[in-house]
Amino acid sequence: MAGATQLRIASLHDVELCGLAATGERRAFGELVRRHGSAVRALLRRMGAQPSQADDVAQDAFITAFERITDFRGEGTFAGWVKRIAARLYLKRLQRERRLGELAAESAPADEGQVAADAEAAIDLDGALKALAPGERVCVTLCFGTGLSHAEAAEALNLPLGTVKSHVKRGLDKLRARLAPAGGASLEGRRGNG
Amino acid sequence: MAEVDFERRLERLFADAPELPDAAAFAGRVERRLNTGWTARRWLIGAAGVGGGIIGASQIVMSNLVQRVESAGDSAKVLSAGLTQITPRAEWLTSLYSGGAVVWIASALAIVAMGFALSRVIEEL
Repeated sequence: MAGATQLRIASLHDVELCGLAATGERRAFGELVRRHGSAVRALLRRMGAQPSQADDVAQDAFITAFERITDFRGEGTFAGWVKRIAARLYLKRLQRERRLGELAAESAPADEGQVAADAEAAIDLDGALKALAPGERVCVTLCFGTGLSHAEAAEALNLPLGTVKSHVKRGLDKLRARLAPAGGASLEGRRGNG
Repeated sequence: MAEVDFERRLERLFADAPELPDAAAFAGRVERRLNTGWTARRWLIGAAGVGGGIIGASQIVMSNLVQRVESAGDSAKVLSAGLTQITPRAEWLTSLYSGGAVVWIASALAIVAMGFALSRVIEEL
């Protein structure tokens, strides 16, 4: 009987599972965690969190999501919604640890020789992100991993909008050099909607 | 155009997060935390209900309600005696008001209802 219920739950769409979770059905929410837990944890690691810290914050994010599940209207994806909760919780944690200010620091220009070597090696996104300065990494991940606009990222980070834009631009330049064949014009963030 | 293509590619890369090997264990930990929180909440609601019931019962006892109702019962007896003279079918009124048992039953029901209502309110919060 329990197995049949679990099978039924596993076949439901995220929005349906959210509806069930809103009625207090914890198994439905557990299915959502199974589906999207890795994505949320990966996002936090990409923002620079250590694996254990990323897991702690991801757990808190899912608990928060369960408590606020009625706020989720299904306008975006459930995964995107939880990712934004997780990102904000991680930033709060950085703020508590007084490390949020470090993100405002300007980064040193990338070593061009290293960039070329990375591009040849065709490293993956996680490897490429490690080459970014902490501020660039967080800003790029917020804007491209959670879908926040520059203005929303600036608000979440408590940084000036211009700082966020320049972090994103430099981060994108570095990522493009590492993820794609070298060369080409410098990137401008298209999310300059703030 | 190349910029937009690259940004779309980047969004896809961010969206395509690899499944972590301990994904099931992670989900289990979150579910345990949810269940623990739910159990604690139920205990809290139950304790609040019992507390509310005790407070309600003590208020009823302290307010000398029984004596008041007994005196009201005496008045009802007089009234029902009058009604009996009007019609013999009104005898059930006499039995209904004859004693404090009804009061205690009503009090108990009121306490249960209060506790239930309090529980629901806390649950909604």
